[in-house]
Amino acid sequence: MYRKFVFLIPLLILLGAGHVAAQINNSGDLILHQQSVKLNLGSQGIGAEYAYGIDKKVALRLGINVIPVSVNDAFDIADFNSTSKVSAKFTNIHLLADYTPFKSAPAFRLVGGAAYFVRGRGSMQVQPKDNYTYGDIVLTPDQVGYLNLDVDWKGIAPYAGIGLFKVMPKRHFNVNVDLGTYYLKEPDVKIVGTGILKGNNTQEGQLKDNVKDYRWLPVFQLNFSYKL
Amino acid sequence: MKIYIKSCFFAILLLSVFSCKKPTENIKLVVDTDILKYTAFIRVTDAANGTLPANAKITISGAAADNIYEISGKKNFNLVQGVVTIGLGPALTPTASNPVTCTATITANGYTTATRTITFTADKSQQIINIQVAKVGSTTPPIVVPDPPVYPTPVVLNFIGTCRNRSDFEIRPSVYIMFRETGSNQPYQYLGYMDKGVLNTTTLGQGKTYDFQTSFNGENLSVTQKIEQASYSLTLDMGNACSNF
Repeated sequence: MYRKFVFLIPLLILLGAGHVAAQINNSGDLILHQQSVKLNLGSQGIGAEYAYGIDKKVALRLGINVIPVSVNDAFDIADFNSTSKVSAKFTNIHLLADYTPFKSAPAFRLVGGAAYFVRGRGSMQVQPKDNYTYGDIVLTPDQVGYLNLDVDWKGIAPYAGIGLFKVMPKRHFNVNVDLGTYYLKEPDVKIVGTGILKGNNTQEGQLKDNVKDYRWLPVFQLNFSYKL
Repeated sequence: MKIYIKSCFFAILLLSVFSCKKPTENIKLVVDTDILKYTAFIRVTDAANGTLPANAKITISGAAADNIYEISGKKNFNLVQGVVTIGLGPALTPTASNPVTCTATITANGYTTATRTITFTADKSQQIINIQVAKVGSTTPPIVVPDPPVYPTPVVLNFIGTCRNRSDFEIRPSVYIMFRETGSNQPYQYLGYMDKGVLNTTTLGQGKTYDFQTSFNGENLSVTQKIEQASYSLTLDMGNACSNF
């Protein structure tokens, strides 16, 4: 499924470029008071936006993006027959400003703004796959317990990037691209273990140190716009 | 226990493109050993002088014997320097109305066989069983071992069990600890029960150096520390016990 999505991206870019070739010829168009709605698809998952031109060169976008993904058995732990589940759940509400600095190049935009990550959580869960022995004692998976590692970036994050292709469609539709990054807050971490894995909360400090620099959330996003 | 990430999926989603450290770098898997919730620390000494009777052996019998294990979860009960810890397996839990009993029998060449009924009750997770054995024909009354001194300053010991070949693995041992002052050549005395690696005691004097010892899976585990502050984090090489996990 993920591979299919990756192959779709260049195809969508080509489709978008077709629209854009026509748009560039209308470089003198102003975006003041123009409105559009957008469907987003990319590294931020899926989302929707409303855009409004507040100036000849500036439009504001208010939107929401959601990533709800999980992968089973993404990693193994040696000597521990286990199943694992990795998930990333990000939901942000963002307000971005698109600034078109060059009249001769309306397809190029500088984009800045911020988002509030209502949810910004990465989780790993490890559970024993079958019975585990302690000496001559056979322990059930429940007796062994499970291990959850959560990393939480919930909070406000500034955004900076560039936009390719015009923010507002000339006619009804267009496709444009966002390339940029959010700078998330330093994450909080939590490790919860049960059973004989209960003591793993002692590793929270190390995990926090490991992920403290995981703050750049890159954005590659296609925006399918409809002019209102 | 090494953690191998099969997929870069998570790393991409979680921003690894701009970060050098793996999220799991230097993370250790911590395992507790408190699988036996009801335990008894058995110590066998010569009744006449408190020394260790040579070649002493212990057998466990009784209706509950099938559910009695050595602290390592093994069914082998070996006295190591006169001590062994036994406990109830997770399949058997005593209740207020149904305590669990077993019988410990001590045999040693030249000594009268001693038996002791050990009762596990719901309200007592740990207990100390001192069994003194007398030489055959001995009429010497058993000695009374004085309690160790009590000091005003409590000391917290945090024991971390490590395994030589598994650097990303840690054990929080729940075991009974013996101690003696280093170089004293005195018999080890009971210090206390280490619960998930933590032991709080008023039996250690500041400025003194102590040997700490426990037995696990028929093996002595020991560490030495001079006491000069209120808490210590001590590393205990778990030896062959590591193969237990």
